[in-house]
Amino acid sequence: MTAYLLNLATLATIFGILAASLNVLIGYAGIFSVAHAVFFGVGAYAGAQVALNLVPDVLLASLAGGLLSGLLSLCLALPALRVRGEYFVAASLGLQMLAVTVFSEAHSLTGGHGGLVGIPPASLLGIDVSSPWRFLAVCVGALTLSLVSIAILMRGGFGRGLMAIRDSESAAEALGKNVPALKTIAVAIGCSLAGVAGTLFAFQLAFINVESFTLEQSVLLMAMVIIGGAGTLLGPLVGTLLLLLLPAVLSFIPFIPATEIGTVQQLVYGLAMTLLMIFRPAGLAAPSTGRR
Amino acid sequence: MPGSLLSVRGLSKEFGGVKAIQSVDMDLVEGVVTALVGPNGAGKTTLFNLICGHISPDAGEVQLAGRPIRGERPHTIARLGIARSFQDLRLFGRMSVRDNVLSALEPTAWLWQPGGRRAARARLHKTEAALERTGLSALAGARAVDLSYAETKFLSLARILVTEARIWLLDEPASGLDPVSRARFVALLKEAVAAGVTVCLIEHNLDIVTELADRIAFLDRGRKLAEGEPAAILRDPELIGIYFGEPRR
Amino acid sequence: MLILQLLASGIQTGVLYGLTAAGFALIFGATRVFHVAHGATFVLAGYAFVLGAQAGLPWPVSCLLALVVAIGFGLFMDAFVYRPIQRHEGAFFTVFVAAFGASLVVQNLIQFCVGRGSVSVSTPLTRASEILPGLYVAPVFWIAIGVAVALFALVTMFLDRTDAGVALRGLSENPELLRAFGLSSRRLSALAFGIGSAMTVPGAILTAATSGIEPAAGAHVVLISLAAAVVGGIGSLRGAALAGLLLGITENLIIAVLDTQWSEAAGFLVLFAFILFRPSGLFGQAVRR
Repeated sequence: MTAYLLNLATLATIFGILAASLNVLIGYAGIFSVAHAVFFGVGAYAGAQVALNLVPDVLLASLAGGLLSGLLSLCLALPALRVRGEYFVAASLGLQMLAVTVFSEAHSLTGGHGGLVGIPPASLLGIDVSSPWRFLAVCVGALTLSLVSIAILMRGGFGRGLMAIRDSESAAEALGKNVPALKTIAVAIGCSLAGVAGTLFAFQLAFINVESFTLEQSVLLMAMVIIGGAGTLLGPLVGTLLLLLLPAVLSFIPFIPATEIGTVQQLVYGLAMTLLMIFRPAGLAAPSTGRR
Repeated sequence: MPGSLLSVRGLSKEFGGVKAIQSVDMDLVEGVVTALVGPNGAGKTTLFNLICGHISPDAGEVQLAGRPIRGERPHTIARLGIARSFQDLRLFGRMSVRDNVLSALEPTAWLWQPGGRRAARARLHKTEAALERTGLSALAGARAVDLSYAETKFLSLARILVTEARIWLLDEPASGLDPVSRARFVALLKEAVAAGVTVCLIEHNLDIVTELADRIAFLDRGRKLAEGEPAAILRDPELIGIYFGEPRR
Repeated sequence: MLILQLLASGIQTGVLYGLTAAGFALIFGATRVFHVAHGATFVLAGYAFVLGAQAGLPWPVSCLLALVVAIGFGLFMDAFVYRPIQRHEGAFFTVFVAAFGASLVVQNLIQFCVGRGSVSVSTPLTRASEILPGLYVAPVFWIAIGVAVALFALVTMFLDRTDAGVALRGLSENPELLRAFGLSSRRLSALAFGIGSAMTVPGAILTAATSGIEPAAGAHVVLISLAAAVVGGIGSLRGAALAGLLLGITENLIIAVLDTQWSEAAGFLVLFAFILFRPSGLFGQAVRR
């Protein structure tokens, strides 16, 4: 039981980083990406390759994962600069579908459908951190660091610039905001954090394959951010906890057959997303809107 | 023209065969308030969009104090000292009133603004001063979407006021204001002009135009039909006819 | 002859893609709703047909049932999901998320009630006969083309000739009208959702009759529709239909050169390239940034 809970807690922290990083794009910059699992995946593969072929150092692997994801985020920044709204969603969908194919076909880098197996236990600057408790501590540290840096950035001029673009791009331009630069940097930050989360994920599971980096995953991440409350610091964490605990809770309900838990879970996600968008579009953690 | 801070020469723009602006010349003279007047669809807002780089002209030149700025990106033009407002305001709705104004003072796209703590404090001071002048201090923490109509108009002005831009292009800044707010608004603008700001405003209310403007440029269907002293323009029966939508020959 | 055979099946897939995509484009053009639940409409129609046929209903009745279910679902989404959202903030992403949620609900509800495997009806119409040496074509091939062309012509005629159709087209050409006139925009949007949803029915029925339909099929359908709508130029029915046809053909032809896994990816590469370099699509007007 402890092992189960520890695993769940570690996964929750990793997904917390992911949701917080997607929130930089969706909540602050107004860039509605449905390709976030791609950068999660890039980070996971890159981190796993470093661990498999160089050293299983979390810091080094995370750095590699984050850096590569940050670089490849240009694929997302490019359409974000050229088109908006539905067109950008369509572009990110296209990117997501392409990436899944590449992940499953580039055998030498990703292991194809079989994935990368036997990722060695993690160490941190020479100290073994592979035990469940220690690795949880590493992940919590990473989450805290991400949240603190996001909080600092978003409270400052950079965050204000992003939110200004989100609320009115043309007005932001007219007030001297360099929109392309701001967007590119925001996308790079969000995606490299996702890459770091991917590396941690690879260490935690010791095995990764394309199944974790599909459109479904992207949509789940999106749901975490939206359900919790996009553009708030803690909303994505609330969403992450809710959506990750859901399967655990469902497994305790007696009349659902065990084989159908996945289906029921998706059903509840879907229903929650639709109903929230109708009745509480700002998310659960957002303050209720004052109307005049 | 002597003292011309912003000069527009032969500016033209076509949208799918419709000539929105046809070889317009205009000068904004330092410290002078120019009003752009004309019926709906005359191309007034398009002219602002062209000057500010939001859309690129088909032909013509725009110079700011002798420096050509045509083809520059909007944010570059803004940083050179041309601030504009929008007819539909385009406030940053989900940001607080204070952040709306503060944001106008933070041009850098990089993660930190230059100047450190001291500069940050100075920006905050300027922001509070601008809020004070526009009467929004008490609402500094409110979200822009929650403001009343008149308050949003003043917030739009505060965002421009705080930038210390030399040229203000205002798109119907006083439309729909009640008489009291309008008087406050006019007073604020006069203060700014006295402090050396060059203003060009699009305005339908001829009372405000006569009260504020030193010059009028009259636009109709993309062409500048006349420019001159307000008294002269507003006495021209032909222009007034066009303005009030009399049937044309 | 492999190429010819692939081309034939490509055309069959393509016309149905084209029709479904045109429905998506019609809805988007007229209402500016990014109807991601279009795929759910498709799946629901397919299941209505299959379950009807399995229950022993004569096939015209099953087809009618599919039509009713498709239109009903489209109208339901319009009235109870999209309109309440558009009434307050109406940000397009809110609509997108809600629609995505609804698709998840439909997919998993079907999985829960019917099962996750694919269902189909068997019909002699899918029995292929050799019409050229090495080229096998089943009657559904002609049915698909016939129905798609006829229905597309019908819808185009409706949009060109009737007052309601002209109003719909007006909306898609100038979305500002929707706001400016406000009048009867409710009924017009219901009309758009009704017709657009009905356009998924032939594809759904014929897919169920040939390869079978599964709960997860909606995602693929909506991705194709979306890609076709963007490549064709958002709002342009002809563009979407043509792009859908091309996507269907490409998807099948590419099998001759590459592994099947790449066939879908190729479509999305085209989509991605279009958005980057020609966001107005093949037939669309320039996009306002």
